[in-house]
Amino acid sequence: MGRILIVDDTMFMRTLLKNILFSGGHDIVGEAADGAEAVARYQELKPDLVTMDVVMPKVNGIEALKAIKAADPSAKVIMCTAVGQEQMVKLAVKSGARGYIVKPFQAPKVLEEVKNVLSA
Amino acid sequence: MFDEEVYRKLFVEESRENHENIVNNLLALESGEDQQAAIDEIFRSAHTLKGMSASMGFDAMEHLCHSMEDVFSLVRNGQREVTAALTDLLLTCTDVIEEMLDAIEAGETPSDERSGSLVQELRAFAEEGNPDEPSAPAEEKPAVPPAEAGGRPVYRLSVAVDPACTMKDVRAMLLLQNLEEFGAILSTTPSRDLIEDGKFDGTFEILIESEAGEDALRTVASGPEISLLALAPSSSLETAAAVEAAPVPEPAPVREPEPPQVQRAARAEKNREIKNIRVDIQRLDRMMNLVEDLVINRGRLELIAKKHGIKEFDEALNMVGRSVSDLQNLMMGIRMMPLERIFNRLPRVVRDVANHDCKEVELTIEGGETELDRSMMDGLSDPLLHIIRNAVNHGIETPEIREAAGKPRKGTLRLSARRDKDNVIIEIEDDGAGIDPEKLRRKAVEKGLMTAETAAAATRDDLINLLFEPGFSTAETITDISGRGVGLDVVKKTIESLKGTIKVETRIGAGTKFELVLPPTMAIIDVMMVHINGMRCAIPISNVVEVAQTRAEAVHRIGNSEAILLRDQILPMHRLEDMFGRAPKSDTLVVLQNNGKRCCIVVDTVDGQQEVVVKPLSRLAGNCRGISGITIPGDGDVVPVLDVNTMI
Repeated sequence: MGRILIVDDTMFMRTLLKNILFSGGHDIVGEAADGAEAVARYQELKPDLVTMDVVMPKVNGIEALKAIKAADPSAKVIMCTAVGQEQMVKLAVKSGARGYIVKPFQAPKVLEEVKNVLSA
Repeated sequence: MFDEEVYRKLFVEESRENHENIVNNLLALESGEDQQAAIDEIFRSAHTLKGMSASMGFDAMEHLCHSMEDVFSLVRNGQREVTAALTDLLLTCTDVIEEMLDAIEAGETPSDERSGSLVQELRAFAEEGNPDEPSAPAEEKPAVPPAEAGGRPVYRLSVAVDPACTMKDVRAMLLLQNLEEFGAILSTTPSRDLIEDGKFDGTFEILIESEAGEDALRTVASGPEISLLALAPSSSLETAAAVEAAPVPEPAPVREPEPPQVQRAARAEKNREIKNIRVDIQRLDRMMNLVEDLVINRGRLELIAKKHGIKEFDEALNMVGRSVSDLQNLMMGIRMMPLERIFNRLPRVVRDVANHDCKEVELTIEGGETELDRSMMDGLSDPLLHIIRNAVNHGIETPEIREAAGKPRKGTLRLSARRDKDNVIIEIEDDGAGIDPEKLRRKAVEKGLMTAETAAAATRDDLINLLFEPGFSTAETITDISGRGVGLDVVKKTIESLKGTIKVETRIGAGTKFELVLPPTMAIIDVMMVHINGMRCAIPISNVVEVAQTRAEAVHRIGNSEAILLRDQILPMHRLEDMFGRAPKSDTLVVLQNNGKRCCIVVDTVDGQQEVVVKPLSRLAGNCRGISGITIPGDGDVVPVLDVNTMI
């Protein structure tokens, strides 16, 4: 079970994801509401895994992912995405994202993806 | 289900923020401010709304937001222009979203009754005329590592992506990328480019050279939504062909420098913690009620202490008293909200009304940060909306008339708020035509509100005050904007129910100004306790000027009423006999003021000043003229609070 940082600009999505991850026995060590905060929280908390929303104000998920990977190439980041964002997610995968989950979240799928990335 | 309730609340709250963001940025787009920033914001909010509504299973809302997002994604890429027609369409969409949010807040699931046609329109707009496909961003070819010469075992993998998988291309890409950590991919069938573009039928084959062993590869190749159909060592012939066919490796991509803004932002936010939490307003209300109870019970304790005169008890009570006061102030502070919350809705209203009436109006908003208790916010919203609509609809003239009058074509409407001592003052000022008192005079007679004689004798102020009379409207025709059956009389009543006052100043040709004066909070106030005819009653301290003694000879009769000469000022004097019954003679007067006007009332005794909680009268009691509410001081008595407003 992993220590996870949740990044999303809405508290609604963070709460939803937090409850799913919590039900899977994971430990939510922190939350961030935009990309810049995500990068700072990552440095500070060194979580095992980050769930990263793509579309966010100020610094978006892709830029934050790149910044995190630049500082820690072994960082495990899962992108939270929605239908219609294939290009963005591909860009994220090329920038080092390890997985993706699609909104609306389905708890079993989210947990499977997280487990898979954590165990890799 | 408890959880669902929690989600619903969060959902509604954050959706409203995003909804507001879309509206404001649509208006910003129209006014020609920073276009790109506004477009990005609209796209982002539509996207966020889509994701959240999908998660809650509100399909109608999801489809609508999805279509808006699609349109804005085209706008963002420069493939569509934002026309006035599009802005109108999008604003209509935001109206529907707002209705949906209202429905959701009320526990319903919105239907696509109204959104269905909008989705069609948005789609039509997205497809219209311009058939060139959104060009996929040129993707750099992934660097394929060189097939190392010699020795390492080669495997052939056959893989299937779950047909239910969303973004199977991304899933396949992730798999290939993960496999690359364990060896070199020699080839894929179909080609890697096709796979990554999603152009495969769900299964594909990979030829990989790896020392990791079969088991490791098996694990990697059977992740989420991926199933491994077959894995076997490959023949050397096959490998040779694949190596030959493998593209020439590109130089390793230089790592992109981190965008400077990320670095800066990261440093700035390093020490940021979650410092704000959201609290359900009902819980705050309950807390406030508890604080009010504390205040009442502190009063009781004070009475008991006074009766028994125990020194130690007094000291302890003093401490408790101080804590209760602090707690009370803190609670009041927490309940305060910036007026922005309601001001933000107004630019949209001004735009709509101005467009409807073919007028040009510039709205400026000042002092949105001024705070007011949240319980007042709800009540204030409609009156403000009404006054603003009136100002555009009736106040500001059409550009032609303005030009003819030597004014700039564009009318200005100023909305400002500020804190002034104990009050919050909100002003709505336009530079329109102003209100003609003569017109009011004629109208008053026509409507039978005044006889011809009284109308002729009426002062300018009397006439202006007619505006607040029920059934009085100066508009020549009832429009569908201002004339919704709600008049300024309702506005005035609402403001008064909030313990506020409303005033209007107008000059023909120069414009009209409405001034609202409101207490920042209404729950706990300082009152002066008095006895009138042996009965206790409370007067808000903000209405009390002074307490004076008088002699019978200073009282003069003027017609049916009495007046008194006090420090060279003639003040109407009321005995409040209709409320409290005939009182024995007393020479104690309390001078009251409201809105700059004064009067005085006769009381038996003045008991002192006290902080009390004012509770509104029960709905069963209805509106009781002269009484604004009741309060329960420490001894458990129920004491009426005088409504000075109605006396002056």
